[in-house]
Amino acid sequence: MSLSRIARHPRAGLLGCIHQQLFLNPSSLPGGADTRPMSRVPYRRPGEPKDNRPPWKKIKFDFAKGVEGVGRQMMLLKKELLDPLVGPEGKPMLEHMLEQNRVVWEFRGPECLEQWSVSSDREIGGQSEAYLKLGRNDNTCLLYGSLNAAPPRDGETRYSGYCTLRSKQRLCSFDRKTHFDWTSFNTLHLRVRGDGRPWMINLAPETYFSHQKDDIYSYFLYTRGGPYWQDVKIPFSKFFLGHRGRIQDDQHHLWLDKINTIGFTLGDKVDGPFQLEIDFIGVCKDYAHTEEFAYEKYKRNPEV
Amino acid sequence: MKCARCLLRLQGLGSVVPSARPANRYAYLLQSTTSPVLTKPLVAFNSHGEALRHFHGSSAWAKSSPPSSDLKEKEKEIDKSLLSRDELFERVARNAKTKAAFDKAIEAFTKRERRRRGHVEFIYAALQKMVEFGVERDLAVYNRLLDVFPKEVFVPRNFIQRMFNHYPRQQECAVQLLEQMENHGIMPNVDTKVLLVQIFGEKSHPMRKYQRLMYWFPRFKHVNPFPVPRLLPSDPVDLARLGLMRIANDLDTKVTVYQMPYTDITETGEEITLPHIVGTQSPDQVELLAKHDPSRPVFVEGPFPLWLRNVCVHYYVLRADPLPPGEKVEEPYDPERSLYYPLQLSLELERDMGDLGDDFDVEDLDEGPVFAMCMTGQGDQATLNQWISGLQEANAVLGRVPTLFRLDAGPRELQSPAGESHRPHPPPEAEPWVPGDEGGAGPARQEVDVTLEEEPQHSRGVKQ
Repeated sequence: MSLSRIARHPRAGLLGCIHQQLFLNPSSLPGGADTRPMSRVPYRRPGEPKDNRPPWKKIKFDFAKGVEGVGRQMMLLKKELLDPLVGPEGKPMLEHMLEQNRVVWEFRGPECLEQWSVSSDREIGGQSEAYLKLGRNDNTCLLYGSLNAAPPRDGETRYSGYCTLRSKQRLCSFDRKTHFDWTSFNTLHLRVRGDGRPWMINLAPETYFSHQKDDIYSYFLYTRGGPYWQDVKIPFSKFFLGHRGRIQDDQHHLWLDKINTIGFTLGDKVDGPFQLEIDFIGVCKDYAHTEEFAYEKYKRNPEV
Repeated sequence: MKCARCLLRLQGLGSVVPSARPANRYAYLLQSTTSPVLTKPLVAFNSHGEALRHFHGSSAWAKSSPPSSDLKEKEKEIDKSLLSRDELFERVARNAKTKAAFDKAIEAFTKRERRRRGHVEFIYAALQKMVEFGVERDLAVYNRLLDVFPKEVFVPRNFIQRMFNHYPRQQECAVQLLEQMENHGIMPNVDTKVLLVQIFGEKSHPMRKYQRLMYWFPRFKHVNPFPVPRLLPSDPVDLARLGLMRIANDLDTKVTVYQMPYTDITETGEEITLPHIVGTQSPDQVELLAKHDPSRPVFVEGPFPLWLRNVCVHYYVLRADPLPPGEKVEEPYDPERSLYYPLQLSLELERDMGDLGDDFDVEDLDEGPVFAMCMTGQGDQATLNQWISGLQEANAVLGRVPTLFRLDAGPRELQSPAGESHRPHPPPEAEPWVPGDEGGAGPARQEVDVTLEEEPQHSRGVKQ
């Protein structure tokens, strides 16, 4: 995993001594509060000791893994170099332009489960559990577990009881990020089989500013329950913008050119077991759907 | 200038009004239209409608009369003991935890003193106690709680106050109240808006939160394509009916009650409880079962969970394994089914790249046909046997087909996260269903006697 970027003091040059006095030292604040912006620091559970190791101690050396890694990166690099020779994204130009349906994720083997990461509120101290495994006949994936909405008693968490299934960031050669380009599509098509609980689909696009890191476009996924599969089609114009779980005032439609991850989350304040089976996730182009955005981008200070 | 005018008017009032003064000495009187507390309008208003206060000095009403005499009166009335936030609610909760009791607690607080000191803590405590008293879904109670805030004190009067987050604690408290409303899915009404405007003014955080609620709630109100009614039926048969109609995925399906819940006391004094059995079968499922090959077994699988808001019911499924690809037969549609247009067209049209349609490049998952579903109180084999025998009325094939029971199968393996084989090889619980007489004769002809009880469509406990 990539190392977290640590702030460095400016080099003491001619004016360095003056700068350093003005520099806000984290330890000088009352209570030892952290002044680093939230966008850089991963979540730290209240009560957990701070990880103050210097960066060189965080690297782990392993020769076998290193060699294997180099081999894997070379394969990815080869694929990356040869694909444009065939056409955009490895498909012939005509096929890329005219395709109406594309299956983005399907679960046909255990290696598909590696692309997904499951988490629940256990990370903040709650008691929910969530597990992921392959479904019947290795054709689907099954997310199951149980939720518990009792908040952890750490004095600051008020709500709890959630679980998520999020796809991992796609990486090309040498651990660089690649994004999904869904500009030629306008609908998300899923085939799921739930148990009647309401889920939420989250799409995280690539952002530029660090403040936008937790910007997520979401929409509801209501499952019917029962033995039959459910086809869910959600146009991308319905997704609304939220940041860290709070829906934002300044709404904008989802830009489809750089999508990073998709996620499913459940947090319906009901304690008990849950399960969700997913057959495949695809995108399609619905020519009958012409809406650009479902919500208004209304004024920030409307007169009451 | 304005202040001088205020003073003159107040002094004028002071000479006229002292006889009409109420028992308490506080001049800091608040007028509220919706408050249950009666207030005598002794506050002077200027032309802008703003409440006037004394410019200098404390809020003692007039400097002419000494306030000391009133103090002694008041001391006897004011209870000076230290009260905890929850005390009012605990006092009231000793009788019964109802909405009336909650309202009484709020009224006791508002009547206690004019200044409403500690109202923020009181409102926070009330928000926590709401669930205990069962009023968390009641908008009137929220409005009454919002009424506890003193009016017009927290309204910013100039641009500096507006800039600097006037009375942040109270604003945060009101935002928390609205957030609790949002969590329970309660839409505020115009009373809430009027209260918020009176308390905090128009450009405040609670008002902004109210605007967000009023924007997003109507948008998401009807977004569920499979809505569940807010008040679920308490009768298990009705609940089963609701659940089965939901999962049937077919509007033509009919729900049949094979057995009503029944408690019988035999001669020996034993109690026998018979659970309810409610099943459903849509016409498509009947057709599929009729076409089913009798030599292949059918399975009763379950229980699978179905959540209806916060209630979980379990259903059982009668299904068969999918046919291996070699044996699948595509039967042509009967042309008599639709006399107005053909159901199948075999045209030799060429479809090019841009006309691929809605087909995804995924292999079709064939999990085998589902023939019927049921929900029952007790999921043991005897009850499910009864269901199968009830199904046999409509589907004669079931008499000839071997039925295997795969109870506790399916994706309900919540206990072990480690990879457990999903398909149980016939474990001890999968016994071929053989009637009592023909023990071990194999899946041959099976006689059944079906006893369907003719009873009204509601269970006994429910009033007609």
